[in-house]
Amino acid sequence: MKALWKIGPLRGLLLFLAIMGPGIITANVDNDAGGIATYSVTGATLGYKLLWVFIPMTLALIVIQEMSARMGAVTGKGLSDLIRERFGVRVILLVMVVLLMANLGNTVSEFAGVAASTELLGISKYIAVPVVALIVWWMVIAGSHKNVERAFLFASALYLLYIPSTFMARPDWSQVAGHLAMPSFSFEPVYLTILIGLIGTTIAPWMQFYIQSAVVEKGITVREYKYTRLDVILGCFMTCLIAAFIVTASAATLNAHDIHIETAREAALAFRPLAGRWAYLLFAFGLFNASLLSASILPLSTAYYICEALGLEAGIDKRWNEAPVFYWMYTVFVAVGAGIIMIPGIPLFGVMLWSQVANGVLLPFVLIFILNLVNNKDIMGSYTNSRGFNAVSWATTAIMIALTLTLVAITIFPGLLA
Amino acid sequence: MEKEKIRAQREFFLSRALGKPIYDRAGRSVGRLRDMAVRWDNHYPRVTGIKYAKDVQMLIGIDQIERWDESGIRLGVAFPGKLRPGSKGEQRPLLRPLSKEEIYVSKWLLDKQIIDTKGSKLVRVNDIMLAWIESGTARELILVAVDVGVRGLLRRIGAEALVRGRAQNLVDWKYIKPLESRMESLRLTLERPSLNELHPADLADIIEDLDSASRTRLLAGLDRQTAIEALTEADIDTQVEIITGMDSARASKLLAEMPPDEAADILGELPEEKSGELLGLMDREEAEDVRELMEYEENTAGALMTNEFIAFPADITAEECIDRLRELAPSAETVYYLYIVDHREVLKGVVTLRDLIVAPPRAELGAIMRTRIVSARAGDNVKRVQEMVAKYDLLALPVVDDQSVLLGIITVDDVMETVLPDRSGLESFTDFMTRGRSRRGWRA
Repeated sequence: MKALWKIGPLRGLLLFLAIMGPGIITANVDNDAGGIATYSVTGATLGYKLLWVFIPMTLALIVIQEMSARMGAVTGKGLSDLIRERFGVRVILLVMVVLLMANLGNTVSEFAGVAASTELLGISKYIAVPVVALIVWWMVIAGSHKNVERAFLFASALYLLYIPSTFMARPDWSQVAGHLAMPSFSFEPVYLTILIGLIGTTIAPWMQFYIQSAVVEKGITVREYKYTRLDVILGCFMTCLIAAFIVTASAATLNAHDIHIETAREAALAFRPLAGRWAYLLFAFGLFNASLLSASILPLSTAYYICEALGLEAGIDKRWNEAPVFYWMYTVFVAVGAGIIMIPGIPLFGVMLWSQVANGVLLPFVLIFILNLVNNKDIMGSYTNSRGFNAVSWATTAIMIALTLTLVAITIFPGLLA
Repeated sequence: MEKEKIRAQREFFLSRALGKPIYDRAGRSVGRLRDMAVRWDNHYPRVTGIKYAKDVQMLIGIDQIERWDESGIRLGVAFPGKLRPGSKGEQRPLLRPLSKEEIYVSKWLLDKQIIDTKGSKLVRVNDIMLAWIESGTARELILVAVDVGVRGLLRRIGAEALVRGRAQNLVDWKYIKPLESRMESLRLTLERPSLNELHPADLADIIEDLDSASRTRLLAGLDRQTAIEALTEADIDTQVEIITGMDSARASKLLAEMPPDEAADILGELPEEKSGELLGLMDREEAEDVRELMEYEENTAGALMTNEFIAFPADITAEECIDRLRELAPSAETVYYLYIVDHREVLKGVVTLRDLIVAPPRAELGAIMRTRIVSARAGDNVKRVQEMVAKYDLLALPVVDDQSVLLGIITVDDVMETVLPDRSGLESFTDFMTRGRSRRGWRA
């Protein structure tokens, strides 16, 4: 590769973006509004207590994303295609309902992110949310949102700033190390809710669909797959690293001073050690960018997966009257996502956190089908899962189901396990 | 034909038939309808056998069935006790394994993608319509149509009532082409030609939508000329994927047969090492043509043009010219304009096909040619090319260098492509990174 500085800033940027593969792209979209909110709340509420989760979670994320990417490379088909062809209509409808619910939650949380960030800047959500929804919607209808998305993606590198901010906040490193190495557990509803949300936002169900179709769309086959595997591992690692720093920064700045996150104003304080009074601006900009990036991707991809699985015309290369279901579904998705946030007095951070809990609850449904497909020799040939991979993913599935059931049990019967 | 004798009776859907109980002549339960085997050697596949239990790979022949109605399927023979795999009884001859010429309907067709050659697109099989037909004394159960609509989908989950009022979205089976390789064992001599009859641009759309494995199969099933035309019409990303996925020998052969400007576009997207290798495998002259075109900056007339064009010296007669044209025309990109060049290939004039036909046979081209020529320089940008083509109503525009040497031509269809907005594929949200780059711009 020729030296970047010789090519000039614009070309350097393009080159950087072109090198990024599906793994790193998915990872960046993963740090969306719901993610930022959940990581901030995790640190603020529970301090360093949940840091240990990051080690097994990173492993699980890598394993799960790798499986999906591998299926894309081997079969050349999307995940919803494979589920439909293997399991038939009933199952695909169930999975699509699950994906629809999870992604509707995510879309709502993206608009919550838009509202939270613009309110920090003193703009009412009643103006910001509809305007942003219209812009996002129009970009797709006009077919010109590709370049804008690229800019968003580049700007999402902003989250790297959590790393210096964490160091400047001078967290208690011995505590950080201790909690990272020593698992702790609690049956308190708050702890369980946040734990499910934390895993749900990091390993969200849409990511498996997304990375698989990105691999397919890029035309990656088993021959080039080894590079994609590296890209996936790197991407997952980056996501989790940044997430762990957000938790640590929030723990050091908020939990240490007993500040609870009610709005974005408190969450922004995690940037204070780095940016001082500019912390609000920095946080608002970062959150706004992340929300827009995901808001422009999630509704569109959801509509696409659903239409494709059901055999309906889909894709933005089609006109509205050629693919009416696709466009209507997309439109309704954006409208409902934005509409829910317009409800007066809706707690924005609550929405962002709970949508991620929903992701966590719904994750096992998708994982079970992925595991069945990836171990099917007719589909995967000699590229089925190794034993270790199966162990990690079945464990993840089992743990998520167990956590959900426990949470439900202690919500219905408080004091059951106390 | 004996068409009037063939009567379709009692159409029904596969989804409603699956799971129906099967009884023998004595009314004893044999199993349930799990799948059907068909022989697809005509436009409409015929059902030849039924699968009666989940894990049994044996079929009951269609000729054993006496009655088939709402309540179930009744066999014309008696079975002493339940049929089990491996049970060695006198009934075994009634059961047979799937033969090579048969495929399972539910397993290999339902929920899969197939090609609808009438609508020229990929569709998903939501349900399948069957019908009993009678011709003379013979009774056959055939697959008549594929349901690709929402009604079929809801029927599968037993909720068709929700959309009673909506029209069925059925595709007649004669327009259906399979994708899966299982079909290769079938005698599809009747079916094959019709894929080749699809317009290459429609085929290109289908190819763009397919996964890489199905693409290779589909291309392999097309005749050579159709495959090349379809590939030429496909979008650049699909072209690059197909070429990269092939072994170099085949890839270079395909590229050599494509118009050089398309080949140059594809090669421009490949890593230098790969494009060098492919060019090396091509015929020297063809490789030279392509290499020349790859030199030009993106969005210039040079990048847009093809260097396959028809040029004649000024001193041949109209008659001679027409004779030569007969040989050249089949492979030329356009024949409507004939360019007149001197021995240094400097553009001197142009003769339209109409001029040529109305000219006296003995007239020399130099005498009938038009000398007021509209031409573009290789470095002109696309915008200027568009304006010229639109303003002068041209079907093709010659491209020359500073010394007026004719380098190539730009045909109106190449210009059209630059005018229409590019909304190809799903790139905008699944893979907005790698796809957005310009055709062969910043590889510098």
